[in-house]
Amino acid sequence: MSDIIISLEHVRKVYRLDTVEVEALRDITLDIRAGDFVSIAGPSGSGKTTILNLIGCIDKPTSGTVKILGRSTSDLDDDRLTELRHRFIGFIFQTFNLIPVLNIRENVELPLLLDDAGSGRNRRKEKEWIDFLIEAVGLKDRMQHKPAELSGGQRQRVAIARALVMKPAIVLADEPTANLDSATGESILRLMHHMNGQFGTTFIFSTHDPDIVEEADHIVRLRDGQIVEDSRRNEVPMAVNAAEGGQT
Amino acid sequence: MIAARLAWGNIGLHRRKSLLIGMIMGMGIFILFVGNSMIDTAVDGLRRMFVQGYTGDLMVTGPTEFPTTVLGETAGSEEVLPHIAQVMKYQEFLAGRKEVAGLLPLLSGQVAFGIGEQEIGQGYCFGANIAEYRSFFPDNITLVEGSWPDEHDGPWVLLSETMRDVLNASSPAPIVPGSKIIMTALANSAGTVIREVTVRGILKFNQSSRALAALSIADADTMRDLLGFASLRDGVPVLTGREAAFVSNFDPEALFENLFAGEAASSGGLGARSEEVPATMRASHGESNEAAVVPAWQFLLIRVKPGANRSALQAALSSYAQELGDGDRVQDWVAGAGKVARTAVTVRLVFDLLVAVVAVVVVMIMMNVLVISVNERLYEIGTLRAIGAKRRVVRQMILFETAFLALLAGAAGLAAGAVVLILLGKIGIRPPNLFFEALFGGSVLKPVMSAGAALRAFLWILAMGLGASFYPTMVALRIEPVVAMRGE
Repeated sequence: MSDIIISLEHVRKVYRLDTVEVEALRDITLDIRAGDFVSIAGPSGSGKTTILNLIGCIDKPTSGTVKILGRSTSDLDDDRLTELRHRFIGFIFQTFNLIPVLNIRENVELPLLLDDAGSGRNRRKEKEWIDFLIEAVGLKDRMQHKPAELSGGQRQRVAIARALVMKPAIVLADEPTANLDSATGESILRLMHHMNGQFGTTFIFSTHDPDIVEEADHIVRLRDGQIVEDSRRNEVPMAVNAAEGGQT
Repeated sequence: MIAARLAWGNIGLHRRKSLLIGMIMGMGIFILFVGNSMIDTAVDGLRRMFVQGYTGDLMVTGPTEFPTTVLGETAGSEEVLPHIAQVMKYQEFLAGRKEVAGLLPLLSGQVAFGIGEQEIGQGYCFGANIAEYRSFFPDNITLVEGSWPDEHDGPWVLLSETMRDVLNASSPAPIVPGSKIIMTALANSAGTVIREVTVRGILKFNQSSRALAALSIADADTMRDLLGFASLRDGVPVLTGREAAFVSNFDPEALFENLFAGEAASSGGLGARSEEVPATMRASHGESNEAAVVPAWQFLLIRVKPGANRSALQAALSSYAQELGDGDRVQDWVAGAGKVARTAVTVRLVFDLLVAVVAVVVVMIMMNVLVISVNERLYEIGTLRAIGAKRRVVRQMILFETAFLALLAGAAGLAAGAVVLILLGKIGIRPPNLFFEALFGGSVLKPVMSAGAALRAFLWILAMGLGASFYPTMVALRIEPVVAMRGE
């Protein structure tokens, strides 16, 4: 399909721990469309984070193909992968991962400052965009604060604004609500959903919380490194033959 | 630049580590700055003292195997230093060089002073035309008693105050201007030459060490006599053709039927240099019946104009000396000053070597602290990489951190060093022994701040910092973006 933004084909990922090999993903095949709000669900160790790492171009598959915007990540060197992440992928981490020495505004602005083509940018528009994002995540009055001065929920809001500042095609969120209380987690998820609707950005988040899983309109369930369900809201859930390790 | 912003922030965030590295760097800069300034002061003081008072910037000497000091000391030799065979050619050559500010021909040797048959002291003595000497070294000698000798005066000597005091300690009568004293050469090869001279005055060397303060200056002909060279006391002799031919064919060994052949061959002075007599007392055979004797000089001191390229002049002069083919030596003031200057220059080298050794240790400590610091920031660096920072940004961040620390610590170290140097400059450091007195070039060392020393210290620390950050940078560059996903 032409609107497929992410495609995993027979992906296998093996980690080597000393002399032991651990197969984190087994023959994963998955398509994600542009604008999807995707949850990757499953218990700990099921391979959620590994899938996000592969989609986020911060890891490469042992075998199989991961295509982001039609480009196979296996063919790209470190600089090109970095460029791809920078331009097209935003990250929201479970532990927020804000830069402690920068204030909120600077943290949100950071991806823009990492842009090689900085001198050709429209500073005024960038400033307006940053202000808009910070206001959108409800932290207008905290712009000059350092991350250490914010609550967990507020930090995650900053992380969402940072993930969106480059206007990426994809935002990956690894257990974005895991370190937050349920009310804050819900508000974060609502914010992500709102951004998904407002900007058409593809959001992919991993979670093991069944309530949160249901918020997504595309649900991918994993168990032991295999997809056991790949369903879309308003679509009949696609049955997956886990034993065979592929979509049916 | 974001890398600089992050680096600056990290220095503030990791205060303890920054302080530890900063203190190491600051102390390093402090020690280097103060140490180098003191050494520079000593070396500059020595250089100024010797160049302006004793050696000039460069000197030509007669043919010797080893470098020769202006006091006539060669490596372990007790012979008289040979004279420059074609001194006038050097004078002509140098007269045409725009870098040259002045020339001074000079003789030098060790002499004994006596009253009657009693020796009352020994010391180094220069032989020179006193007017030329004063013109070449205008600021270094002051007449304390007596008067400056005249060109036409008989044999004279100007004793330094120090030497006068030494001699008076053994002299039956006080030595004052007008006193007659006996001078004898101490070099074995000069033979036994005794001259009675008049003490024309007592002088003081304005810049000197204890050894140099005891120098005396005698008229050139007296020194030539004492050193065994041809005297020109009665003016330049004019030889007839027959005389010149005789001199040029003169063979002292033949006179004694080889009786003293062995000794003559090993002795200095005129006899030992008989084979060179034709060069110094060159006669023009046949065509003219007259020949001029060239005055013997052991040194030709050269003063170089400020800002002129000494090394280039030395190189040109060395080439010219080779061209002349007499084996003359061209050397700089360090060789002319001898052991003291060489020691000072060596001390600087040893200090730099010590610094290099300490630097290795310091670099190791700094490297470890920086590695710890990088390891504590795994997630931060991983996050930066994940959100789009290329490895270049990470490398710049670590280098900026080191450079900022070097700048901050450098400023603090230089400021502390400046305070200490100002205080030491006011108080002065008294040398604990004669060695240090010679090294300090006087009885008190008042170190002055040296911009060169400050720059060297800063560059050293910067190099050490960058060297120390090399491995931590490698560690940081190996951090993969996936680390960011593992959580803090």
